[in-house]
Amino acid sequence: MTKSHPPSTTRRSLLGAGAASLGLLAAPGLLCAEEEKFPSKIIEVVTHAGVGGGTDITARMMMVQAPAVLGTEFTVVNRTAGSGAAALQYAASRPRDGHTILLITQTHLLTMLRNKSLPQFDELVGVARATEDPQMIMVKAGSPLADPRAFIEASKERGLKYGGTHVGSVDHVAIFSFARAGGFKAPTLVPFRGGGDIVINLVGGNIDVALLNPAEAEAQIGAGEVKPVLVLSRQRLATMPDVPTAQELGIRATAATTRGFVVLKGTPEDRVAKLESGLVKAMSGQVFQSYLKSSGQASDSVTGQKEWQEQLVEFNGQAREALTSLGLLR
Amino acid sequence: MDAFLAGMATLTDPLILGMILAGTVLGIVVGALPGISGSTTIALLLPLTIGVSPIAALAFMGSVYCAANFGGSITAILVNAPGDPSSSATAIEGYRLAERGQAGLALGMSAVASAIGGIFSVVMLIFAAPLLARAAYSFGPPEYFALAVFGLSMCAAIGGDGRVKNLITAALGVLLATVGIDLTSGVERYSFGIMELSDGINFVPVLIGLFAVSEMLDQSTRRAEEPKLISMDAAKLPTGADFRKCGRAIGIGSVIGAFIGALPALGATTAALVGYNETQRWSKHKHEFGHGALEGVAGPEAANNAAVGGSMVPTLALGIPGSATTAIILAGLIVQGVRPGPHLFNEQPVLLYAVFASMLAANLLYLVLGLGMAKLFARISLIPPTLLWPAVFVLSVIGAYGPNQSMGDVVIMLVAGGVGFLFRRHGFSPAPLIMGLVLGGMLEEALKQSMIIFDQNPLGFAHRPIALLLLAVTLSGLLGPLLLRMLRVVRPQKEAV
Repeated sequence: MTKSHPPSTTRRSLLGAGAASLGLLAAPGLLCAEEEKFPSKIIEVVTHAGVGGGTDITARMMMVQAPAVLGTEFTVVNRTAGSGAAALQYAASRPRDGHTILLITQTHLLTMLRNKSLPQFDELVGVARATEDPQMIMVKAGSPLADPRAFIEASKERGLKYGGTHVGSVDHVAIFSFARAGGFKAPTLVPFRGGGDIVINLVGGNIDVALLNPAEAEAQIGAGEVKPVLVLSRQRLATMPDVPTAQELGIRATAATTRGFVVLKGTPEDRVAKLESGLVKAMSGQVFQSYLKSSGQASDSVTGQKEWQEQLVEFNGQAREALTSLGLLR
Repeated sequence: MDAFLAGMATLTDPLILGMILAGTVLGIVVGALPGISGSTTIALLLPLTIGVSPIAALAFMGSVYCAANFGGSITAILVNAPGDPSSSATAIEGYRLAERGQAGLALGMSAVASAIGGIFSVVMLIFAAPLLARAAYSFGPPEYFALAVFGLSMCAAIGGDGRVKNLITAALGVLLATVGIDLTSGVERYSFGIMELSDGINFVPVLIGLFAVSEMLDQSTRRAEEPKLISMDAAKLPTGADFRKCGRAIGIGSVIGAFIGALPALGATTAALVGYNETQRWSKHKHEFGHGALEGVAGPEAANNAAVGGSMVPTLALGIPGSATTAIILAGLIVQGVRPGPHLFNEQPVLLYAVFASMLAANLLYLVLGLGMAKLFARISLIPPTLLWPAVFVLSVIGAYGPNQSMGDVVIMLVAGGVGFLFRRHGFSPAPLIMGLVLGGMLEEALKQSMIIFDQNPLGFAHRPIALLLLAVTLSGLLGPLLLRMLRVVRPQKEAV
């Protein structure tokens, strides 16, 4: 496939899998190293989501106010294949000069753990976090599990059936880590396609527990069909002050759906710092903040490099442990 | 009721109205073009609908679907070549009428009968779908498994005539559905390390390839015939006398069409043919049939448009497509992140009522457009295929590349096009493959989920009455013909004794 010379690197990274793009890693960085002004051209935001997907929208919301702050245009590059693998490979094929930033979720870290031919975790440098949506433990309203203490008791006696996304997913890691931190009997994951399916099967009585973001079950919580038991964040949610955190009950586990920006290692540090301050400023603007609010996420989702990088390291460790114990990592 | 009004209110949204208008005009045009059917068009334009809201997308697809069935009758009547497969029954009487110089009347009756049939079925849809949806929360993985089994059992009948061939393509579809990361094990299957395949085979490029590109390849093997257009003045509104004559035909066609459409796997083409037969059987003017009977236009046209609304019932309320076109609409909805099924009514009632409203609007719109501009639309069938099909191919490539900006999808589209062409050459229909692809994934996932829920004990199904009922219906559907034949064999023997 790569014998003939494709007209552009875009095409090349699409057609050739690993080999072609790996060869490109070394050279391009040198080309731009001498430039003084940054940013000097359009910044590409690479995402694994299709146009209109949740992560794609996050990127586009950030881009509304970022051009004014950083003084350059932004464009989204959607590379949907392989649960983030294609996006990672594309980013790796670009010069590490700060003009390519990658919007990742925890799923990318899982993909990297399971596919050693991709750039690995220590190749990523956090820039800024964009969204953080805490996960909650929910049960059917009226269930004997609806009381947090009763829930913990029951979890220690028998392995409950949890609804989540597919085996080896972020949900799976979160459920595993939560159950281990609580000293629970091993839970069973019933995998579903998405939050909507999980809520329905919770109300329908096919699963005991669901791991969901607050917004995913908003309608059913409002209708009194679903009861949130615990929130897996450090503090209680402002929107649901009655729901205790798992930590209050002695279970040291947190879980959240997070999205944030990273660049690949080798990007000059001053440029990373400039990107960090620029992106944080852009996302503190009114457009991104109202997007956070309308999608039910906290305004302190946006945070800089330090906290974001710590979170990435923590999740990566958690994920490695969970996937290894579940026999999904060799 | 609030949802009903909110759904109707979406018609005031200029974007939705624009989509309906565009869909209706396009539907008439492609319906009138021989070779390009409503299903081809929806497959081709699916990528465009991904960028808009699900309501706008469905309004558009629904309008194309409604209008294409009418558009087909224009060419059927004027050129004696059904523009859409569903109007093949219309050509029988319609062309005779046109030869007698009554083309305008035939077209007018076709438009009116189509609209009445279409509106009747949408009204039925408005009442029937919520009833089916009442059972929503009782639908878990075991029930979806039983539904998928039921849907797949219909595969022999959807599409072409060869039952064995239909089953072969359906099986291929089920196999294709296994590609990608398996939900219950997290393992990639049949992806051969190709990233484009790790999330499963995308519906959009497969649909475009199977329906649009394969049709182009197929057309390229035929010699283009110069279509002969019968001259006509303008479409005429049928008079009161015509109505009195055809009222019964329209009524019969509407009821039969809505019923047949609602049966999974039987679509507008079957509905129109059955509608034609029944209209003839119940007609007071049987002698006219075969020589240009106006009833013979009214009956099948009412039936094929009533089948549209009918086939949306199982598609939206159960997630089982009732025809090739609804299979594509279903896939389009899944791409949009909307999973049709009983839950849709509880989660997104406004979406559904908006769809109904837009289908009603489309039915009225093509009545007006069809009566006013039939002459113009008739000229469409004269576009030379040498211009038409290359344009379709360009759209196919753009459509496959667009949603994911992926050349991999273009390759999948081209492969699907080649496969679809071979299918057509050898008498296979692509529709069962789509059903297999859509339902196969559901079948496997639901079964695996059920087994986890039942702690790996298959007897768990015994405690799920709805699932049992659906499985029993499937079984009786499969064994029914066999039992009937056995009865028939037994009876004559008794008489002989």
